Amino acid sequence: MLREEMSVASEVDRVTEPQTNVPKPPQPYTGEGAKLHVRKLNAWYNRRQALFEIDLPIRPNQVTAIIGPSGCGKSTLIRCLNRMHELVLGARVEGEVLLDGADIYGANMDAVEVRRRIGMVFQKPNPFPNMSIADNVVAGLKLNGVKDRGKLEKAVRRNLEQVYLWEEVKDELHRSGASLSGGQQQRLCIARALAVEPEVLLMDEPCSALDPTATAKIEQLIAELKRAYTVVIVTHNMQQAARVADYTVFMYLGKLIEYDETALLFETPREPLTERYITGKFG
Amino acid sequence: MPRLMDMGLNQLNSLLLEMATLSQEAVSASIDAYDRGAKGDEVRQMSNRLRSLYRQVSDLSMEMIARYQPVASDLRFLKACLEISYGFFRYGRYALDIASVLDMFGDLSKCDKRFVVETAKKTQEMIRMSVDAFARRDVEMARRIPDMDDVVDERYRNNLKATLRTKGDVKCSLSATLILRYLERIADHASYIGESVEYIATGVEPKLD
Repeated sequence: MLREEMSVASEVDRVTEPQTNVPKPPQPYTGEGAKLHVRKLNAWYNRRQALFEIDLPIRPNQVTAIIGPSGCGKSTLIRCLNRMHELVLGARVEGEVLLDGADIYGANMDAVEVRRRIGMVFQKPNPFPNMSIADNVVAGLKLNGVKDRGKLEKAVRRNLEQVYLWEEVKDELHRSGASLSGGQQQRLCIARALAVEPEVLLMDEPCSALDPTATAKIEQLIAELKRAYTVVIVTHNMQQAARVADYTVFMYLGKLIEYDETALLFETPREPLTERYITGKFG
Repeated sequence: MPRLMDMGLNQLNSLLLEMATLSQEAVSASIDAYDRGAKGDEVRQMSNRLRSLYRQVSDLSMEMIARYQPVASDLRFLKACLEISYGFFRYGRYALDIASVLDMFGDLSKCDKRFVVETAKKTQEMIRMSVDAFARRDVEMARRIPDMDDVVDERYRNNLKATLRTKGDVKCSLSATLILRYLERIADHASYIGESVEYIATGVEPKLD
């Protein structure tokens, strides 16, 4: 471990000492019925360890936000949740991520099927630039062998309606996806992720490249999506976590520092390190 | 490096400490006027100033919420500021009510004021404790205030029962009852301020009876 990392790690240990005057309610949720359950997860990039013993039950049909400073491991964690981490050269994972009780890293698990069931939306909208709006939506379905034209057309409409993009683009479905505004492109990417009928939607800073109006639309969409999906969102914007998430996770230096209901974490955080980070008294 | 929000928090703290001092003085002046039979003219000015400060605290708190979206201890402090400043404002308002009793009833020099003055001393001690607990964020002191509130409540109820039985001077008993009622309300607000001090420090919301 680098000297700088060691000094910050010892700071974590120091400031996470229990504070006597802050109540410590017992953690009520141990993971029964969790949609995803991360257990003792460690992750590396070559020899550098990025995640340390992460335990995190993610409740079904809820929005869970992951916050923390740059380099804390939140993007690594979300990429471990659908086996995207292993696509990086030299990256590896130890521990379990249970999807409805079955380990996605288990011997019989197909990584492609895992990524279908646990979809991902990225920071920068990334529609396929050479495809039309309609083809972008159903790209995943076509890849999975769906050829029925009627089925594909229905999927285009259904998923564009789901992300409130249908009315804006219904007369120009053959235009390039790249011709849309940034916010529209991001909603198109969400529609594309939803088209393959995932159960969990992972969102890695989905609004960081968007203006406030487009951000508000994505946030409204997230609130609606949780009726049908379990949503995990990584965000640098604490106010966004406070607005959209039911539960919030605070990470620091690859460790999970605190996990609680969003309202509790932002009003009465149990850990002094969380308090310092969210109030901007960090560093 | 100080945060932008810290300037506003410091300003709020200063406003509350000014309110604390002024509200103590207002209650003392009104009780002193009752005891000595003097006019409490300055109490009105103090009460008006407290009202103005309460508005300033409220406006600044709202502005800070709008500007900085505070969380955790910052958010708890702002929430508690609204409760505490309201308590200080009410101290001033009840001080004015006590002073108004003197205007309403005129000469009370022949009344036995010992019971009221003794109760006032207990209430003033509660005010002092609420102010000190806030200034020092002293949770232990804040927790002792409700016990004293029970004493003031008991004295108010006892006086009320005695008043119903009294055959003496109605002016004396009625003025005493009114002032004791205001003191009882002041004591309640001292307890609320104590609860807010505990909330700032620990995040524990007061239990509702």
